[in-house]
Amino acid sequence: MAEMWISMGPQHPMTHGLWTLKVKVDGETVVDTEPDLGYIHRGVEKICESRDFTQITTYCDRLCYASANTWSHAYIYAAEDLLEVEVPERAEYIRLIAVELQRIASHLMWLGAYGPDIGNLSIMVWCLREREMMMDLLQELGGSRMHYNFPRIGGVKRDLPYGFAQRARAKLDLFKQRIQEYESLFDESTVFLVRTQGVGYTKAEEMVNHGVTGPNVRAAGVDYDVRWAHPYSVYSELDWAPAVERSSVKGADCYDRYRVRVTEMVESANMVLEALERMPGGAETHYEPGDPAIIAKAPSRAPEGTFGSHHFEDSRGESMFHIVGGGEGRGKNPYRVSIRSPMFITIPYASKCMIGYKVADIPAIMGSFDPCIGETDR
Amino acid sequence: MGKRVSAEAQKEAVSKLLEDVSSIEGVEGEVLTRTNGTQDRNIAHITCQPSAWRDLAETMKYDHLVDHCSMITGIHWPDSTECNWELIYHFLRTGVLDPKSTENGSSIIPNITDTKKLGGNTVPIEIQVNVAIPETRTPSIASVQDIWIGADWNEKETWDLVGIDFEGHEGMRRVLNPHETPPGYHPLQKQHKLRYHGFEEMYDDAQGFLRKAPDSGRVK
Repeated sequence: MAEMWISMGPQHPMTHGLWTLKVKVDGETVVDTEPDLGYIHRGVEKICESRDFTQITTYCDRLCYASANTWSHAYIYAAEDLLEVEVPERAEYIRLIAVELQRIASHLMWLGAYGPDIGNLSIMVWCLREREMMMDLLQELGGSRMHYNFPRIGGVKRDLPYGFAQRARAKLDLFKQRIQEYESLFDESTVFLVRTQGVGYTKAEEMVNHGVTGPNVRAAGVDYDVRWAHPYSVYSELDWAPAVERSSVKGADCYDRYRVRVTEMVESANMVLEALERMPGGAETHYEPGDPAIIAKAPSRAPEGTFGSHHFEDSRGESMFHIVGGGEGRGKNPYRVSIRSPMFITIPYASKCMIGYKVADIPAIMGSFDPCIGETDR
Repeated sequence: MGKRVSAEAQKEAVSKLLEDVSSIEGVEGEVLTRTNGTQDRNIAHITCQPSAWRDLAETMKYDHLVDHCSMITGIHWPDSTECNWELIYHFLRTGVLDPKSTENGSSIIPNITDTKKLGGNTVPIEIQVNVAIPETRTPSIASVQDIWIGADWNEKETWDLVGIDFEGHEGMRRVLNPHETPPGYHPLQKQHKLRYHGFEEMYDDAQGFLRKAPDSGRVK
């Protein structure tokens, strides 16, 4: 049969955002693919050059609509590296709680979107129900539902509200019970298993060479995680281990990538519970905004010749900022801000993974990598 | 206590890598220590001449098992002559290996790293390579697309946004800007300003009702 190119997107349910996947097909078989990104490129890197260091945080929130907190934290760690700020330990614990809650919310959003991709619509409603609990907790911290603007250079915007620890414990305990419902809904659903098992094999070493990191690599049976390999925050104070999936000999398939994220959600919930216990000063204490216990003083200017960068474990892999100081306003603005998006690198790889499978497998394979176009296109 | 790679082990691994790569002509390295975090970060900070970049890349990948190209940043310094264009490469050594399969070959044994046993070429480290390109209108550098496939789209992005060309890069094209962007237009070069740069009234008059056309008042 003759080969032909077809274009999926930018408005296509497979894309989880707005981008185009050009697929070369031979009948029903995918022969070649070519991703075409940039549909929602907003030029965040250029905008950041004319904003000061505090203002940039809000732009970083908007890089990813499903995982705003991890992105603003990724920026804040790089900015603190640039401005050489030491953060109070209590603030690090609060940040850890915010980031891990966001990781759960992001994975739930992914799972909720992945279900309809492969023909299981009811899972979306269930996942959004649990996500609502995480959103409520995050809203208590940051004050809004989507874009929290929570971290500050040197600490956090405010301390845990009164009664937060109690509500967080209750919600996370309930969440851990409900995770079992997903397992019975997904792992015993023939539709789900047929669509995900044996589809889209990936190997660990190959993925790392392609620049793919995070849960996608851990699904292939390695426990590489930036949180222990390049320790930051207070992760090393907690008793945890990254979620690793025992994949098949051929590599990780879509099912493994689903399993690893479910395990990771439980791991994150445990981390938050432990952080609430171990927090210096106690989780029931409440410091006023601006108290030195939760925020340190930070300079507002970075002189010429300084730079800062930080690797950060985002919900989708390793994210990173590189900031060069000495921009306009005698160093008030950065000279250059550069953003590494995990999905920008993963989408080309995921597209190559589809070669050899059927056209109907494209949503299952693409969705299993958890694409987020907000951060991809920046 | 959760697991972590100690700062001392990373410092030792970084020094060893730097000692080795410094023997390449045109490559200098130093250990950059950042002390503001909860744990000290020791980064291999390497400065490299454009001509030595390809040698350095091959040494890092094949002798030191640096397997992950994280990010490529291009910077335009219009006022500088010896560093008119700068490239900053960020690498990680992850030490990720494919897990081995069980004896009967039915499943795999997950690779769980024991951080106490890490040593030599398996300690995860961060590497930052700065390459300065002297004044030119057509900046270019050797591509490392064939060494790290992860560098492929990073290089495409750097060319697209900053305009630094990568010699030997196959399939270079626009990735974030529209495909019909005119040749030679790279928005992160410093001569391009934001449209409303310096226009404070932009914030008071977002719709532009009060703004006048640039030729208003001139005889037509």
